[in-house]
Order: sequence, then structure tokens, then C-alpha cells
Amino acid sequence: MRNSLYVFHKLCVNITPGRWPSLLLQNRLYAKYFPDFFQNPIFRKEDQAKLIENNELSKYTTVPVLPPSASETSMHFDPLVNKVINHIMKDGNKKLARSLLEKAFENVKRKQIERYHLAKTPEQKAKIELDPKNILHKAVENSKPMLQLLPIKRGGITYQVPGPITEHRSLFLAIKWLLEATTEKERTVHFPEQFAWEIMDAANNTGKVVKRKQDLHRLCEANRAYAHYRWQ
Amino acid sequence: MLSRNLRIACRRYSQSVTTFRTSEISPAQQNSNQIGLFYTLDNDLCKQLYGHGGLPKCFLKQTKTFTETTFMIRQPALEIIECIKATDFNKPAIRYVLHGEEGTGKSMTIAHLLHYAHQEGFLIIHVPWVSNWLRRVSRYKEMANSLTKEGFVDIPLDAAAWLLHFKTQNQHLLKSGELKVSKDYEWSKREKTPAGSTLLELIEHGIVRVKYACDVVDTLLHEVKLLSNTKQCKTFVAIDGYNGFFNPLTNLHTPTKKKVAPEEVTLTASFLELTKNDWTNGVMLLSTDAIAHPEYEQESYLPKYLLYRKGFDHIDPFVPIEVSNYTEKEFMTCASYYRDRLWLRGSPDIEKELKITSAHNPYRFMELCAPL
Amino acid sequence: MIMALFTRSYKPGVLFNTNLLWRSNSTLETLQKGEDEEEFRVLDILKKKDKHQRRVARPMKVPADRAEKMPTDQNWGNVWPGPRSFHPSSVPLPIRQGYVPKGQVPPGKKANAELMKIPNFLHLTPPVIKMQCEAIKKFCTEWPKMLNSEQAIEQHYPVEVITSDYCHASPTIRNPLARIVTLRVKLSSLELDKHAKDKFLRLVGDRYDKETDLVTFTADRCPMRKQNLDYVNYLLTATFHESWAVEDWEKQKSEEDMEYYNWDNNKSKRNLIDWYLKVKNEDRLLTDDEYKSFDVSEIPHAIEYKETVSDLFNVGENKETLSRYDTVVRKLLGLPEKKC
Repeated sequence: MRNSLYVFHKLCVNITPGRWPSLLLQNRLYAKYFPDFFQNPIFRKEDQAKLIENNELSKYTTVPVLPPSASETSMHFDPLVNKVINHIMKDGNKKLARSLLEKAFENVKRKQIERYHLAKTPEQKAKIELDPKNILHKAVENSKPMLQLLPIKRGGITYQVPGPITEHRSLFLAIKWLLEATTEKERTVHFPEQFAWEIMDAANNTGKVVKRKQDLHRLCEANRAYAHYRWQ
Repeated sequence: MLSRNLRIACRRYSQSVTTFRTSEISPAQQNSNQIGLFYTLDNDLCKQLYGHGGLPKCFLKQTKTFTETTFMIRQPALEIIECIKATDFNKPAIRYVLHGEEGTGKSMTIAHLLHYAHQEGFLIIHVPWVSNWLRRVSRYKEMANSLTKEGFVDIPLDAAAWLLHFKTQNQHLLKSGELKVSKDYEWSKREKTPAGSTLLELIEHGIVRVKYACDVVDTLLHEVKLLSNTKQCKTFVAIDGYNGFFNPLTNLHTPTKKKVAPEEVTLTASFLELTKNDWTNGVMLLSTDAIAHPEYEQESYLPKYLLYRKGFDHIDPFVPIEVSNYTEKEFMTCASYYRDRLWLRGSPDIEKELKITSAHNPYRFMELCAPL
Repeated sequence: MIMALFTRSYKPGVLFNTNLLWRSNSTLETLQKGEDEEEFRVLDILKKKDKHQRRVARPMKVPADRAEKMPTDQNWGNVWPGPRSFHPSSVPLPIRQGYVPKGQVPPGKKANAELMKIPNFLHLTPPVIKMQCEAIKKFCTEWPKMLNSEQAIEQHYPVEVITSDYCHASPTIRNPLARIVTLRVKLSSLELDKHAKDKFLRLVGDRYDKETDLVTFTADRCPMRKQNLDYVNYLLTATFHESWAVEDWEKQKSEEDMEYYNWDNNKSKRNLIDWYLKVKNEDRLLTDDEYKSFDVSEIPHAIEYKETVSDLFNVGENKETLSRYDTVVRKLLGLPEKKC
């Protein structure tokens, strides 16, 4: 009841009286599974602990909550991993994409555990990163470019002008490059295997992708002279 | 409040973690107190017993990653060991049929019992996976019409490979040279195995002259039966995916492109003859597996359904032994073993989730742990 | 209009008669007056009418509603003796009925078509029913004393016919559902032998309920109840007699048709006998007939074994039957019992 009142109030504020009927009709036609005011659930224990700490828990007691999506509730859910899966995915076949990434993770894990067992001293062992998720994070971090080249036309000539890059785009490029590097492989090598190698290389700051990033940076450095075209 | 819960959980967890290994490495001595615990196998023994098959592929991968081969001691294996101990070996050999859902550990139970049989000095006749013969058709699969039996098909390469497997598994028994052939066997004009020559010679002949491998297998199994009857050796037969022998059709075909039924393959005939209970001083361990069933989706994993009517009639008074999913305790020890082997890391709550998502299924649990 | 007249009667060269023209527009009275007094007359084009006073509606004297005048201790059966569609004045109840937007009150009983549409049972109030039952009691016979329990009824009247009568407030008292007839009979009361029972069940199909042992025939294909009743009786008679008939081809039925698993004819028995002879170290070959006639009761636990194997086939393979098979086989082979 309270919620419906709230909605009513919101509608009254936003909408001029003349548009009432059409809006009602629209609301009927575009029936959502859940209305907009339903909040995303907070199910991670860390987040909940934070809420309790900040005394904000009472704020959420009366708020209607959406059901959580199946993958997000898992203990192993990671937004970046999910993003990479979505990049791997073709034709909406997420199941396959996820299984490919999981196999790649398995390969990484096996290699790292093998290395761990081969390492002799405890210091060396401590250095080895065993969590494939962390390795992916590191790999993506290492392959993110800091600059980009923009084609800008001045006097009939297109110049490649270096400029800053947004966080979003650099993440996109990093994942894209990782996947492109993976697909350049022998036909007999499978995707998970190659992807495992690529992310392990990138995490070590070596390999094709990191080189590509450095090449881009170098080119940006070389084209420094055109930088003023960005605003002229 | 939360941190207290966490602490309690941690304590509970650490209590359950404490033991997941046992030092009891001889299967004959293992008892029900050690259910759910892992014991380590000697590497050389592993190579001897499972070098040519016997462990599932995914498990082999694990042994490489874990740098050791360990088996979990589980109820079905102990039950069979107990039964074998109580068996009167003067009576006809008893057949045990392992059954269970996919991934519950039927093949692992067989592997565990092979170790037991090896220790107890049984002569081991082990078929790692029947469908490798009848359903997997690789590019180099060789098929030939049988020379000795009319209308039968030979798969000589597989037979020779199996002979090699048999030889490596039983090398210590065969080397002593006490097991001898009872009568003359003539393979061709120049080749023959005289009565009194050792089994090893017979096997060597099969490996060297691949053409006769299938007949050698047949002869070998026949001789083993006779030897067991005369108490010269105890025999342990273990066949994984036994219901493969009773499927309506195999993937093999004759040179004239005719599909072959399993009973038209010489190896099938000899192993079916072996699994009759007309001989003594032996144990037969068979497993029925839904994966070996020809239909894509099975209605049930129970033995009568998988064996079909003829299979059931063939091995009728058998002891069905179910291999089930992990119990709570087994799951926890397995999880702590994985933690020890670095296969599983992170907060103790992960187990709780994995327990639900894997539904206590051993194989699924292992699979789910892989990308973590 | 005037213009039209003018043009039509205009003729060039002829003088226009103005008087005539006026006359066509003014009333007779004014014409006469004008002729008499020669008064200036005003042309009343719009013809303003006198504003006449609006009549004040007087309240009508309506007698009070009959419903309001009803005494509280009246005999309701006399007010509403039979089935009838709703009438607001006859029902002294504050009834409301009808769908309205949220927040509004449903309309009252007067001029309410909703109330008239639905069937009512105002003629069937409990006191009226009681009274009517009392009245017809003298026509009833006494309940047979022997039929004092459910079992007795079942024994003497195994066939149960179920029909439904419908009370109606609509113009017709005939409900189409009243024609449906259901006949129920317990299968055990038919006293069929093995063959007949098997055949009867095949004929009857899913009309037989295993749990309650009831066979149910339902007929609704004829328009009248009597016809349906006849048909249901016919069905029961026909299936009963047909199930006793043995056709020639029924002799050809073999084990393969898998009606049930007869352990004595099957491989399982041979396996057991072979095994037993092996245990006793007797080496002899039996013929088919010897296998069939072999008395297994001399083998310990063989009878249980036979039952469990038959169960495995006849009941079906499930965890329960399999575990029973397991325990029996262990007993048979002399193995320790299963744990847990």
C-alpha cells in the first residue's frame, strides 16, 4: 500500500495532467516483471556487514527487493569474469562461453599448482599466484592501454592524434585484445588452452597483448606532435 | 554477531579438517573407521596396475596435478573386501555388480579393489572399459573376420593391447612360471604352444603375433579358469562397463559394412564365457554404467535396466552393490584434501555452496572445484 | 421563402397586390382587426412566446415497500413458496450485488439485474425443507434393518449408480448435467478368475482404479438419464461376459508378451539349479523339463530368491526391490549381510 502510494506520488509530480490516459495505457502495455522501485538485493556478507556498520540496515527493511539472478549469488561471482564471459560469448551461448573460461581457469590453475610444487623454497612458493581469477584481473590490468589514437581530419589529411582514454574503453580494449590474441592460434590448439597462456603471459607483463599495448603507447609518443589537433 | 558466527564456523571447519589421510596403505587392513579417508599408492605399483588403463582420464589428470595417487576408502569397496574375505572359494565364483549414478566412483572402486587383489596375490583379469573395444572406433581400428570361429569378428590390436595390460598387471605371478598351459595349441603350421609352456609364453605369442591375439585371449581365459579350478591360482576378474557387452549393436562394422552385434565379437564371447559361474576359486567384479548404455538418456542407472534381459540372465545370482554419492563426512574430508592439494582455496563457506551445487556427487564436485 | 414566392408570382407589367402579399404572412385575426381599426401592426417575425411557468413536481404518494412492511416472524415459505427469480420487494434483506470500480459500493437490490441473473435458493431455506420432508414422510418405506453397515450395503448392493439432480431458479428445471450416469462396482465383487480378470482389466483400461479396486463407467452420450443408465448397465454386462470368453488366439500368448515373469520357466531358475549342482559337486546335465520340474525348496533360501527375482520383473526394478534381491542373494551365497 505504501509503495503504491509512493508510485502514485511520483507519477503526480512528474506528469502533466493532459498526458494521464496515454501514460496509464503505456504502463499497462509495458508491464514489467518487477516495477522500477524494486531494489537490487544485497546478499554478499561483506556488503551486509558494511550496512550494519554504517547503521543503514533500517533503510532497507521496508524496501521491496528483486530476486537475485542465479549467477550473481554464487560465492565465486566476479563482475570482471562475467564481463570476459560476455565478450567470449557468441550468439548468446553463455553456457558454452562460461565453460570455455572455466576450462581456461582450470588450465591456469593446473600450471600454477605444478609450478608451486616444483618451487623449492617457501619464498618462491609464496610468490606464485594460484588463484586464476586474480591472474585474470592482473592480466586485464596489465593490458589496459592508457592512451589512444583518434583519427582527426585536418586539411584533407587524417592524423592519428593521441589522446586520453576512458576507463571503460581501456577495459574494453584490454579484453578485446586478449581475445584477439587468443584466436590467433593453431587450429589444433583449443581456445581454453591458448587463453590460459595468454592471461598468464599478460599477468607476467609479457606476451602479445602487453606488446600490443606498448606498441600503441609508443605510437602515441611518436605522434605527440599532432596532439594539438585535438582541440584546434 | 557475524564475526562470532564466522569464528564458530571456522572452528567447526578446522575440527573436520584435522584428518583426511590414513597411513593404512594395505586395503586388506582397512576398516570402517577409515571410511572417507585417503590413502596413498606407491607410484611404481600405480604404473604396474593402471599403466595401461584402469583409472579414469580426469582422475589421471588430478594425480599429475596433485603429484600423488590417492584413493578414498569408501563403503562399497570395504563391503566387497569383507565379502571376499568371507567367501568360500570352493564354491563357484561370486559376481558383484557395481552400479550407481554417473560420477559416483564405480571405476575408482574397481581401482581400489584391484589394489586389494594385487596385494592378496590374485591373478588379475581386468578390462578397463568395455566400450573402448566395442564403441570407440578410431581411425586405425583394425577389424578382421575371425579365422577360427565362423561369423565372428576379431579386433586384434585391442586384444594385443589388452594382453600387454594383463602381462604388466600380473608380471610378478607370470614371471615365477608356475602357471602352465594344459594342452597343445596349434596356431599355424609352424607356430604352436605346446602343453606345459608357461602362460607368459602364450601371452608373448599373442603380443608378437597380433593376428592371433584374439584367439590367444580366448585360450588364456580358458586356461586361467582351469588353473583356478585346480587351485593353482586365485583369480580376480574386474570388468568396467560390463553392460557394454549386452548392447544391441556396436559401432564396429565388417569389411562389407555390416553392423556388428557385440556377441559377434570374439573378445565378447570369451569374456562372457569367463563371467559364467562355472568355475571356482575366483571373484568377479563387474560394473554397469549408464555411459556404456546406447541410448542417449537413460531411464535408470540400476543394473537390470542397463544389462537388458540377456545380461541379467547371464549373470543372474549376483550381488548388487551400489556406489552412492558422498556422505557428509566423505564430502568434508574430500574438501579438506582438495584444500591440502591447493585444488580448493578461499573461505570455508565455499564448501557449503559446492555441497549444494554438486549435490554430493564426487565427479561434479571435482569439476566444480576446477576453475576456482 | 418569401422571396421565392415573390419571384414565382411576379409577372412583368402586372401591378403587385400588396395586400395579398401581407395577408399571406399575417394571421386571420390581425387581418380582420386591420380592416376594422387600421391600427399599426407590428410584424412579429420571431413570434415570442409567453414564458409559461414551470410546473413544480409534487411528490407522489408511494406506498412503503412491501419488504419493509414484512413482520419479522412471518412464515417465509409462504412469501417465497417456489423457485423464482429475484424480486427486491419480496426479500427483506439488505442485499447488494454487482461489480464496481475499486472504492465504490455495489448497487443495492432494487433494479439490480445482477441479482436477477443469478439463481437463488430462497425457496429452499432449512425450515421449509424440513417441513416438506415431514410432509412426504408418510410416503416413505422403512430402511431395511439388515443393511445396518457400509459392508452390508456393499455386499448386497455391489453396484453403485451415481446421478446428480440440480436445483434451479432458472425458467427450466432441466439441467443438461443431470443426464450423466456413473456406475461403480468393486472388481472383487465380480468374482472373476485369473484369465477373466486379466481380460476384464484390459477391456476396462483406465476405468479401473488399482488402489480402491473400483471399476467406474460413466456415460453422458445420450440425452436422457434413462438411456445413459441403460448404456452403463450394458457396458458392465458386456465387459463381464466378454472377459469370460476365451478366444483361440489367446493360446498363442507367450512369455515374450511379458504379462508377468514366471520364474519357473526362466533362465534364472536354471542359473540357480546349475549353481546348486556345482556347489554340491554334482556334474549332471538336465533337460528342459527336468529344469522346469526341479523342486527348488531343497535349496536353502531358494523360495525367497524366487520371490525377489519375480518382484524385480513384475513390480519393476527400483531401489527397494533391488535391495531385497541383494539381501536374499547374500543369504543364498553365504555372504555377510549388508551394512547400514
